[in-house]
Amino acid sequence: MERIVEVVPEAGLHARPASKFVQTANRFDSEITVGRADGDDTVSASSMLAVTGLNIEHGERVRITAEGDDAEAALDELEALLTTPVEEDDESEAGDDA
Amino acid sequence: MKLSGIGSTPLSGVGTARWYRPESDLTLPEKPDPSEVDSDAEQERFETAQTTAREQIEQARQQAAERVGEDEAAVFEAHLQFLDDPQLVGDIESAMSEGTPAEHAVSDRFEEAIAQFEGMDGRMAERADDLRDIRDRLLRVLLDVETVDLSALPAGTVLLAERLTPSDTAGLDPDSVAGIATVTGGRTSHAAIIARSLAIPAVVGVGEVLNEIEEGADVLVNGDAGTVVVDPDEGERAAAGGVDAPVVEERVATADGKRIEVAANVGGEAELEPAAARGADGIGLFRTEFLFLDREAPPDESEQYEAITAALAAFPDDRVVVRTLDIGGDKAVPYLDLPDETNPFLGQRGIRLSLGTHSDLFETHLRALLRVAASEHGDELAVMFPMVTQIEEVESAIERVESVADDLESEGIDYAVPELGVMIETPAASYLADALAERLDFLSIGTNDLTQYVMAVDRENDAVADYHDPLHPAVLRAVDRTVSAAEGRDAWVGMCGEMAGDPDLTELLVGLGLDELSMSAVTVPAVKQQVQQTATDTARELAAEVLACETRAEVQTVLDGEEK
Repeated sequence: MERIVEVVPEAGLHARPASKFVQTANRFDSEITVGRADGDDTVSASSMLAVTGLNIEHGERVRITAEGDDAEAALDELEALLTTPVEEDDESEAGDDA
Repeated sequence: MKLSGIGSTPLSGVGTARWYRPESDLTLPEKPDPSEVDSDAEQERFETAQTTAREQIEQARQQAAERVGEDEAAVFEAHLQFLDDPQLVGDIESAMSEGTPAEHAVSDRFEEAIAQFEGMDGRMAERADDLRDIRDRLLRVLLDVETVDLSALPAGTVLLAERLTPSDTAGLDPDSVAGIATVTGGRTSHAAIIARSLAIPAVVGVGEVLNEIEEGADVLVNGDAGTVVVDPDEGERAAAGGVDAPVVEERVATADGKRIEVAANVGGEAELEPAAARGADGIGLFRTEFLFLDREAPPDESEQYEAITAALAAFPDDRVVVRTLDIGGDKAVPYLDLPDETNPFLGQRGIRLSLGTHSDLFETHLRALLRVAASEHGDELAVMFPMVTQIEEVESAIERVESVADDLESEGIDYAVPELGVMIETPAASYLADALAERLDFLSIGTNDLTQYVMAVDRENDAVADYHDPLHPAVLRAVDRTVSAAEGRDAWVGMCGEMAGDPDLTELLVGLGLDELSMSAVTVPAVKQQVQQTATDTARELAAEVLACETRAEVQTVLDGEEK
């Protein structure tokens, strides 16, 4: 099961959004990967090191895959996370995390 | 010895040099033969180290949240994730199972990850600092090395280090640390950001030459000028605020009654209260960059509104001059996608970006400013545009102000148009000062950039540092030309820049005819005192004599002759 999603948060897949992405992915039992939609740089979504290492910027499209019983739910949550612009309160927090 | 680096907290401090070299304690023992290693025991040691590191990071997180704020505490959450990263931990565990001792496994694997991030640019490279921080925590436990207690340094310490990690910096006690200077690092590294939040004077990226400073030396860290001075003389101390003149709360005038406004340059909210406490008559340069740097998205209108309102509230009866966004040049803002330029100081900077590719940002900025102008102390707001070289730019900027005013009007939002001015920081602006003064309420001479552009000298290049001196006759004449051009026109002329804050030059600047001097808050008391001791006519004579000089050396001779 997979989904192609555009990364909306200004910070891209860095800092706070990356941190939340990894945290969320780790809550599910499914095997989850992430990488550029048109690339072959797929990595495990459970690794902060790997996810930040992708250096994905705001506006890029990523492919998220999930295999397991809760794959659907995992993809729903991760998609929501990447397509929600960081809210105002959160923005200042993410902001200084550069 | 005077070294230059990147000023990261624009404050100054003098103290005793103390080196912090934690990495030297983390030398690994010789790697034993794999057959002699008990893999299970190593596994256990690693887990213990992980647990201890986790506790320490939690504690650092809490400390940062209390001392610095939730924003900076967030970095430690990322640290916790790196600490438990399945890739890192997986590789370390498999190395241990093959007979590598825990400390070597940690060191090797982290080194690899650090190298990967270091090869990338900007904020990615700063992840390398995070990884180093975590690695060192693990190694300190594994090698049983006492953590140097940075929170208990003796008062008056100038802390010198190769680099400081976010944890190192968050643990510092601002009351005992007079300054920080590091060999590596940029102004957007977490450590630099935390130092700024704690208002600790800091200069980063000084280079290997910093290592020449001996333990115990008398050191001045000038975060405004980006310099580190060993054995500073009285003049340098005074300019950096090392010698305290009594604070003069009221506005000052020369001995014969000419009013001179002595204002402060402010680059962040933390500097407002210290500036007011040192008796500044308002803010002559409010740098808005701090609102935009060290983050991942631009601040919205309401955040800008709040920050500028806070500045006005700190100086309810005084003018606050806000410089519109001055990015470009050496100030990197990752989310703005600024192009790499061969010559950034001659490229898209200041007003050029505001009127060009980043006009949307400028519009939000102006909306916030015009709304502030209609708020409680808003009549004291003044706004100036940086990096102007053409009259057309000023006309466009004024048009933008008017169109934003129209928008606010039609939306029924309260607004007012503040006093408008420009920075005089290019030869072009100095040549056009008459035409600028005709159209605007004030001119403010930015001597740091003006010197750079008049003298055709790179501020960052040590090899030509002697050229970067505002006392060169060409620079002084550009200042004089600007002041004279505004005379008789209804515009006041101020100066913001290092030169304005040097009490040894106050008489000259009064003689040149400046109405306002704006400087780092620390020098406000000394300059106020100088203004009160200056007589306008002797000051004018001094200025005339200096302006007649043809060489830098002659200028010095005239100034030395004046010293009492």
